[in-house]
Amino acid sequence: MGVQQDIREKGLLAAVAGIGDDVFTRVTAGISVGEFRRMLQGEAPGRPNPRLKPHSEAFLLHIKPTYYHESATRWNHTFRLGLLSTWLFLIETITGLLLMIWYAPSPDRAYTDMITLLTNVPFGQFLRDLHRLGAEMMVAIVTLHMVRTYLTGSYKAPRQFTWFTGVVLFVVTLFLSFSGYLLPWDQLALWAVTIGTSMAEAVPPAIVGETVNLLARGAPDIGANGLLRFYLLHVIFLPLILILFFFVHYYKVVHFGISLPADEEEVGEDTASRIPAEKRVYYLPDVAIDELSFLTIFTMVMIFLTLFFFQAPLEHIANPQSTPLHTVAPWYFYWLQGLLKVADKFIVGVLLPGVLLVLLIAIPYLDMNPSRRGKDRRVAIVAGIVAGVVMIILSWMGTPYYAVQGAPAIEIIQELMPEEGSGPVREEIGYAHLPLGVFSTDDHAEYEDEEFALLMHEFTTAVEKFDEEQAGFNAARGQVTITQEQPGLKKLNWEIFWFDAESNEGYYQRPFWLHEDSIYWEQYGFKPVFVGYLTSMFSGKE
Amino acid sequence: MQGIFVKSPILKMALGILGALGCIILLFLVLATENVRMADQTDNWAAREIENGALLYANNCASCHGPDGKGLLGVAPALNSHYFFADAGRLADINYIGSLESYVRLTVAAGRPSKTNSQWAQIMPTWGSQFGGPLRGDQVIEVTKYVMNFQDAALAQTAEEDPFQPFLDVRKPVGEQSIAVLMGAAPPPVEEAPAAEGGVRAPAELFTAMACVGCHNMDLPQDASNRGPVGPNLGNLAEVAGTIVPGMSAEEYVYQSITEPGAHVVEGYITGIMPPDFATKMSEEEIQGLVAWLLDPTQ
Repeated sequence: MGVQQDIREKGLLAAVAGIGDDVFTRVTAGISVGEFRRMLQGEAPGRPNPRLKPHSEAFLLHIKPTYYHESATRWNHTFRLGLLSTWLFLIETITGLLLMIWYAPSPDRAYTDMITLLTNVPFGQFLRDLHRLGAEMMVAIVTLHMVRTYLTGSYKAPRQFTWFTGVVLFVVTLFLSFSGYLLPWDQLALWAVTIGTSMAEAVPPAIVGETVNLLARGAPDIGANGLLRFYLLHVIFLPLILILFFFVHYYKVVHFGISLPADEEEVGEDTASRIPAEKRVYYLPDVAIDELSFLTIFTMVMIFLTLFFFQAPLEHIANPQSTPLHTVAPWYFYWLQGLLKVADKFIVGVLLPGVLLVLLIAIPYLDMNPSRRGKDRRVAIVAGIVAGVVMIILSWMGTPYYAVQGAPAIEIIQELMPEEGSGPVREEIGYAHLPLGVFSTDDHAEYEDEEFALLMHEFTTAVEKFDEEQAGFNAARGQVTITQEQPGLKKLNWEIFWFDAESNEGYYQRPFWLHEDSIYWEQYGFKPVFVGYLTSMFSGKE
Repeated sequence: MQGIFVKSPILKMALGILGALGCIILLFLVLATENVRMADQTDNWAAREIENGALLYANNCASCHGPDGKGLLGVAPALNSHYFFADAGRLADINYIGSLESYVRLTVAAGRPSKTNSQWAQIMPTWGSQFGGPLRGDQVIEVTKYVMNFQDAALAQTAEEDPFQPFLDVRKPVGEQSIAVLMGAAPPPVEEAPAAEGGVRAPAELFTAMACVGCHNMDLPQDASNRGPVGPNLGNLAEVAGTIVPGMSAEEYVYQSITEPGAHVVEGYITGIMPPDFATKMSEEEIQGLVAWLLDPTQ
């Protein structure tokens, strides 16, 4: 029907309204303006339900169920953890694609590209921080999703295969996060990944282990080839695997329905896919509104955390010749690092993860108990809690606090001015609060500058602590010599003198330089700028 | 919908809209402060380069150019020097029209593997890995940034404070190079040539002062797997010196190699690299001492 004829028959306004309604219906894949208004007003749909049309018309909606069981939509049943995992993957994909614009996976460029991103790209630091925070949150949330599924017994028949795909997704998520670790090409990256890949070396026989390691690193040590391989794993191979398994996983979730709270059905029964009419909650509009609002609030919180509480670290450029004092794995591998201290590399790096993985996959088949009710599953739940506690203890053993201690003199300096990261001198005291001169822990002097007095107090405490604890570290004295080396550049020469158990003199010295413009990573980002604005605003009024 | 916290869809929608608004406001806050942050970050990373350069300088450069950058007499020129940074200073004197930063970076990266008209005890070694040295490109830049950071302090030096040593590689007379002259003072008296000042200098000292050390490595032997790149290694000189030229004793051979370097050049090395004038720079007694020291397997 021509527009002119339309206007002639209905009048101009009605004709335009008709066209508008038509466009709206096409965009929403089947929801007219009137129906949309009735949705917002909370009115029940007519029959047949016109709100089901988008599920058959729109690609993205056709994989969503048209309605859910009311009990499965309760927030405290699933905590929306699966949805969050998917959403985080989307955020990671978007931020990751943007970050790829300014990044080249080559040792000659990767680190400088990071600095260019931080110094010359608007929103560059925000993107990097958000991507890093998203990666860590994704590991945490996927883990919690698995814990929730375990605790509610949702892996039981008929969902064994769904659980299997979930385990694959969990492992892919870990590898995705870990493969991204190497890309900034800093010391943290190089050494964490060196340790990680060295575990593969323990696969017997030696020729297999070496080959696996060689394939991962691209050379006996991580270099240009290793970086390229990790990059390709991170941006292509693992995401593709993840997308594939995500769709299989989600298809199975929709196919069987989200498992209901255990006490709502008989033991051994699974009614999730046969939802009685009065229990149906339709995706449009109820679940859609719920999910959208939940995700926007979550995203806002995430951006807030990124801006004020989280910064992706960037240490010195990767240097295969110098191993940092305390090399740490990412937190989700702390348990492996903790285990490495008590067991052999083969057991920790190969046998145990392998056995754990098989166990995880086999859980639905090992657990013959048909009931998903907590009171019937005491053994399973206690076993799960014990496993969790063991993981936490092992992780705690893997933290830097439980690290193998170096020589006391080295540890004291490391505490105040670590090789990597910031430490109290760089972060809290700063260039301005370092007076020139020679200062000894024996002086016990009063220092005019409060910040510096605090530093000397910490220095003295550290020296005294190690003096008391260690037999081979007696009558210790620390000294720091601060000189103005260049305009805007101070040199801090740290010296420790002591006597060992045989009364031989010991001496250790280590110089560091601090420039007045350098800000260490805990300080930068949006927060100091914002705080700076606030302070200047208030001090301006005084 | 039976969430435990929010049940009303109206409230959910309101919260969703608030969340979206919150995201936008937060992103605008970032946008508003982005220029300040990028400027801070630029300064920060420039400062870190200087900090890293300071460590590299202390480990690699300070032994010759001095821990304070003021050079060592006869060993290496001062960098923390007014003459070095002044517009009419070093660069003008050698007709270098690039920036001082590029000059320093080139010198660090490629070194100065040439002995023409140089009065320094050692050649400047090659540091950049692209020319076969030990430092990566970013490390060469860091050292350069550190050296360039002497600028303000150096330009504040008076003529008396400038640790300048006259350069012999410049066509200008030595007396006209000094920053004091540039500042309008009378040329300083030309220094006496540092020839034999009465006493006999020790062989080890001569080995450095005569710049032998720049090309000849005393710690490595000269054999099939070790070859000095510029001059032969001297680690096994005591064993091989007597066998190189038939009919010449070890002492005769070494003595001749010092006084007439072109007489017998080891195969694979270039004639004319080793200065021919050592006989005029050292006394006979000093040369004899140096020969004995070089052939002493216990030194």
